[in-house]
Amino acid sequence: MTDTQWETYEVFHQSKRGEAHEHVGSVHAPDAQVALQYARDQFARRLKCVSIWVVRTSDITATDYQDESFFSQSTDKSYRDPKTFGAPDHL
Amino acid sequence: MTTPTIESLLLAMADDELVLGHRNAEWTGHSPILEEDIAFSNIAQDEIGHALIWYTAYEKLAGRSPDQMAFERPWNEFTCARFVTYPKGDFAYTVVRQFFFDVAEEVRLRSFLASSSEVLRSSAAKILKEEAYHRLHTQGLVERLGDATEESRRRMQAGVTAAYAQALGLFEALPDEAVLVAGGVMTPNIELARSWIEAVAPVLRSVSLTPPVALTADAGGRRKKHLPDLEQLVTDLQSVYRLVPGGAW
Repeated sequence: MTDTQWETYEVFHQSKRGEAHEHVGSVHAPDAQVALQYARDQFARRLKCVSIWVVRTSDITATDYQDESFFSQSTDKSYRDPKTFGAPDHL
Repeated sequence: MTTPTIESLLLAMADDELVLGHRNAEWTGHSPILEEDIAFSNIAQDEIGHALIWYTAYEKLAGRSPDQMAFERPWNEFTCARFVTYPKGDFAYTVVRQFFFDVAEEVRLRSFLASSSEVLRSSAAKILKEEAYHRLHTQGLVERLGDATEESRRRMQAGVTAAYAQALGLFEALPDEAVLVAGGVMTPNIELARSWIEAVAPVLRSVSLTPPVALTADAGGRRKKHLPDLEQLVTDLQSVYRLVPGGAW
């Protein structure tokens, strides 16, 4: 059976200039311009928003959950952590 | 004294917005795609918000509140165009109708920016900001669906054929329009209709949709000559309010 759904776009929302765009969800859309409109209606009507990015989901290259060793810390690397530096309270 | 006449203009616009907003809200939960459902429901709510702006302006002159006008008036006292009263049809018809309405609103509101009436100038400026996005949305749908598949083409053409003459009914002259035109309050509806025809033509042409050749504007609504579709809609619209008239919710 063919998939009759439009493809999905991931939506990134920025609440203030200079802040990072945060991933807030995804929308189905026939193209990027429509994706922006749908993203606005779904994610920007109640949140304060100054900018939205949409990215075609299929354009994202991601790690595979099966490939756990990609993130594994098999040897002790604790000496690399800056955990002995205490931050003074007044900072 | 032009006040009663400007009241009828405000009311005609308010009724158009309320009734079309209600018709469009009938798609909530039934649109072809979830995202479109949310977007279209949004537009429906916006139109009802515009109705509130015009009813509130009307109240300042005539003393009857928006609730009274929307919920206590008999259906055959509404002065909306017939165009907005027709059942929602399929989604193609709905899209074409909303696009035609968006262009009509834009044409009318732009003409109000030069009106001698302050309430028309300021309300138009406020509503135009939102309308630009309605048009972006509905024109985008017309351009995409008009030119997508054989089925979408066929349905969109059927929508244009059905809605075109209906839309011209939006420009039916108001009973005392000459007074408003003479007072610099509004541009004659016949001129607005011409601007509307010129504005929708290139969009339709770009996707080879054609307006019907022989047509008569589907007028009557401004003179309260309505079809049973409006009775059904208003009965539905007022059903909750009528359970406890004047009640606070």
